[in-house]
This record gives sequence, C-alpha cells and structure tokens, in this order.
Amino acid sequence: MYWEKELEILELKSLGKLQVERFMKSLHQASDSPYYGRVPEIGKMLKSGMKSIEQIRELPFTTKEDLRNDFPWGFLSTDKRDVVRLHSSSGTTGNPTVVYHNRHDLASWANLMARSLYAAGVRDTDVFQNMSGYGLFTGGLGFQYGVERLGCLSIPAGAGNSLRQIKLMRDYGTTVAHAIPSYLGRLFDVFKEEGLDPRKDTKLHTLVIGAEPHTEEHRQRIEEMFGVKAYNSFGLSEMNGPGVAFECTEQNGLHIWEDAYVVEIIDPKTLQPVPDGEMGELVMTTLDRQAMPVIRYRTRDLTRFLPGKCKCGRTHRRLDRIAGRSDDMFIMKGCNIFPMQVEGVLMKLSEVGDDYRILLETMDDVDEMIVEVEVKKGWFNGDLAFLDRLQKHITHLIRDEVLIRPLVRLVEPGSIPKSEGKAVRVIDRRQK
Amino acid sequence: MTYQVSIFLENKLGHLEKVTAILKQAEINIRSLHLNHTANGWGILNLVVSNPEMAHQLLNDNGMSAALREIVVIKMADKPGGLDTLLKDIIMAGVNFTNAYGRVVNEGENAFFVIDIQDIKDARTRLEAVGLDIIPNKLVYGLSQA
Repeated sequence: MYWEKELEILELKSLGKLQVERFMKSLHQASDSPYYGRVPEIGKMLKSGMKSIEQIRELPFTTKEDLRNDFPWGFLSTDKRDVVRLHSSSGTTGNPTVVYHNRHDLASWANLMARSLYAAGVRDTDVFQNMSGYGLFTGGLGFQYGVERLGCLSIPAGAGNSLRQIKLMRDYGTTVAHAIPSYLGRLFDVFKEEGLDPRKDTKLHTLVIGAEPHTEEHRQRIEEMFGVKAYNSFGLSEMNGPGVAFECTEQNGLHIWEDAYVVEIIDPKTLQPVPDGEMGELVMTTLDRQAMPVIRYRTRDLTRFLPGKCKCGRTHRRLDRIAGRSDDMFIMKGCNIFPMQVEGVLMKLSEVGDDYRILLETMDDVDEMIVEVEVKKGWFNGDLAFLDRLQKHITHLIRDEVLIRPLVRLVEPGSIPKSEGKAVRVIDRRQK
Repeated sequence: MTYQVSIFLENKLGHLEKVTAILKQAEINIRSLHLNHTANGWGILNLVVSNPEMAHQLLNDNGMSAALREIVVIKMADKPGGLDTLLKDIIMAGVNFTNAYGRVVNEGENAFFVIDIQDIKDARTRLEAVGLDIIPNKLVYGLSQA
C-alpha cells in the first residue's frame, strides 16, 4: 500500500532530522543563485548551521513578486547547462513565473507524483488518461512523468475535445483519468448527448481532480456522475506542480510530502505561524530541488493542518482542502467573501449546472454582487413560477452564506464562457 | 394530448432568432406564439408549432432548455364578446389557468384560445363536459385545412 514505505511512515523525529539535513544542502545550493546569494540571513545560517527545522523562520519569505522581479535567471542555482526543462505561467500581465528543473529535479518530481497516485490506489495495471493541457502548464507533463514512473499505460490526451476523450476512454479501457473539476461537468454532458452513461459505458474507477479549488459537494457530485472515487490533488508550479500533496484512499485530507518540502502555515497579516489546526496561508520550501530551490514561498493558498493521524499510517501531515486564496477573497459591503462559499451553495442544488460566475458591478452608485447560474436542461419544465422560485431560493441561500444579498441571474445552459485552464469565477467591474 | 413547446430564453439580442432559425431549418411552422415579460433578464417563450415533439428535441439538441407542456386549444368565435362567452363556460367548468393566448384562424369566423393545463387535473374532461369545442391536434398543428 506504500510506494516508498520507509519514507512514507517515517516517525516524526527522523523526518525532522531528514528535513534539516536536506534543507542545509538545499540552502547551500540556493546561495549560488543571484537572488538568494544576496540574502544576508542565508549567509548567516550557512555559517551557524541549523539545529531544528523551526529555525527556518529566521529566513525571509519569497513571494511571487520576488520571482517575477528577478526574471528570468535570478533564481537559477546551477549552471544553465545543467537545466533540462522550464515550466512557466502564461504571464500575460508582466513577467511570467518560471521554474527550472535539472534531471535530478524531474526524477524527484516524477517520483513524488507516482507516490501520490499510488496512495490514491492507482497501480501499474491501470490505464491512465491525462485530460490536462500539455506544454508550459505543469498538469500535463507533471502527471505524464509520474504515471510513467508508476508504470501505468498512459494516454496523453491533453485538454478539451470531449468526443475524442470519450472515444479514447472506450477504445483503450481507461480506468483512471485526471482533469480539472470544472471540465468534468462538461464532459459528462457530452456523454449524455451521445446517449452514453460513464458509469456503464467506461471502465473508469478513479478520477484525479485538482488545479482548481473545489468543495466536498463538488467532489461528491463528480463521484456520482462518473461512478468513481475522486481524489483531490494539490500542487503549484513554484513547488514543481502536481504531486505536492495528495489524498490517500481515506479521502480525508491531502498528505503533503514533508521529505520534499518544509511546510508552514502562517497568518497572512502578522506573518507568524498560526496555532496547529488553524486556518492560514501555506508557506513552502523545496528540499529536493537543485536547479531552483525556493525558500519560504508564500503560496497565497489558505488551508490548515488536519489534526490527528491518518488511518493509512503515513506520517506526513494532511492539509485540509484549499479554502480559497488569500488573494481571491473580495470584500462586498464590508463582508469578506470567498467564491468557494458561493460554489458550496450552488453545488448543493441539483437544478443548476457546475458553472457559475460572480460579477461585481456598480449599479446606481451601489456595489452589487451578481451571481450567474446555468439552469440545467433536465430540470426546466417550462414553468415560469418554477424559475422564479429557484431564483429566490438561490438568492436566499447565498445571502445566508455570505451575509449580503446577491442578484441571481439564471442563464441558458452553456452560456457562461468556459476557459481551457483554470475557470475565471470572479469578474470585478466595480468603480473604485 | 396537445402540446406547446416552452423555451427558457435570456433577453439578449439574437436569442429569439436562434430559436426561429432552428425551426425554419427543420421546416417546422409556428402557429402561435406567446412571450413572457423578460424584466429579470430572462423569460419563457411558448410556441404552438406543427410538430412539437420534433421542435422540443431539436431545441434541446442545440443546447437550449426546452420543455413540452400540455395545453388545450378551444374554439372561439372571432367577434365582439367571443372571448367573454368562452370564459363564462370555462368558469362553469371550474378551470382556472395561469397562462393563455390566442390566434385567429379565419377572420370573422374562428379563433383558437390556448390555455396551459400542465398543472390542472382533468381540465380536458371538465371543459368537454360543459360543451366546449376542443380543437383536435391536426387542426391545432395545422396539418390539414380547417
């Protein structure tokens, strides 16, 4: 049941020792980069050494802005000749965020990915279809190398083209697939349009979903639609990509691989660690990356450590599902609102589809939150009263959740623009 | 059973024409039409057409939310007081409805009066019991000359 038993069930004391060893090696490597070479605290720690991993708090944070400001080579810790791949954000506004890998880094990442999938019950007998975009986005190649390392038959299907996805699944008997959650609703619709039922007409038993925060209700809906177990995958390109944290078959939190990362959760305002089990911003440090170590990276993802031990026996701590980002929160009429709160409400309603959009607009000098929701085809019975009731019901539920009254707009199915990557959920058009 | 096709429609430029284009291509004739107010940004379009089952299927296949709803179409005289006479009979039958619309068939002679009976139990039987003239499908759908 373990990919690397010794490492996965390593007792905490030994894990801490391993972290210190790997961290000091990594710190040494990092200091070869132009950026970290300039940080005085790093020079100091290289001289004085580290007794326990908590001392990492003596070092400054690294932010996305830091990575962008020192674009393109400021964080490279090795000779360019040693680097074999880069991944990068699209960077349509300003400099992209770029991460470099050498051969060791790619092998280490593939291994973590394989370990993650193994924990979710994927085996070398599975047929794995990756419905993620290949290219600069890490969800493509990241999974590809991991799946190959694990030994599955891999189908590098790429994103989109639902008819072809379905054909591939049926032709080759796909048993496991990876996709972003917002795509799976659309794929299911295409199954239905083709007169097919994924529960009967495919061999799928597992879906891996990630790259977008989603709720437990959304996961359950996906599991029902496809008749599978769906496992939450967490990653970010700055920390390689997928394979950073993953649910095991207990489906109760995501094990974050602490032999590969130092994990902290801080209060984004005070920048101090939060008490164990409390919500805060995830801060991560790479322990096994040579070309580009990153120290105390502020991910902006909000989560917490789940208390207690996991039944699976792994000692690596578990993160709660991502509750949102410290930067996608918006404030309306004095209330802090996360799009996930709205999603949580909508996912409980079977009459509406998986896609939604939040528009923030100034109307007659008042800021309003407009929630666009798609009415599912199967539910529409031609009755105006039904739609009126549905609209009022959604308005009421969202109000109860976020404490301000939204304007709910029912829209035709398929009319909310789909994006190929992460879905854009909030559009802020308020007059500032 | 007689049906109208009801379509959920956003109030946006070109959305109504999307419906009519689909029907035109399938050579489905629109016999009567009723559009709800669209103040919310959306409304419901009710259509009596020559082939409601096919229209329903085609509209759904094209990504729209369409539903079949049961209606009865009653014969009405096209002259002053025609509707009033008809309504008195409908009241006598005890049938209260939420939506209705009409169509003149031969000017000065016959008109259709369409009521939505989806949610009314035994509307048809009760209307027939008071002697109202319920128009058969082939005339409603325009499949033979009236």
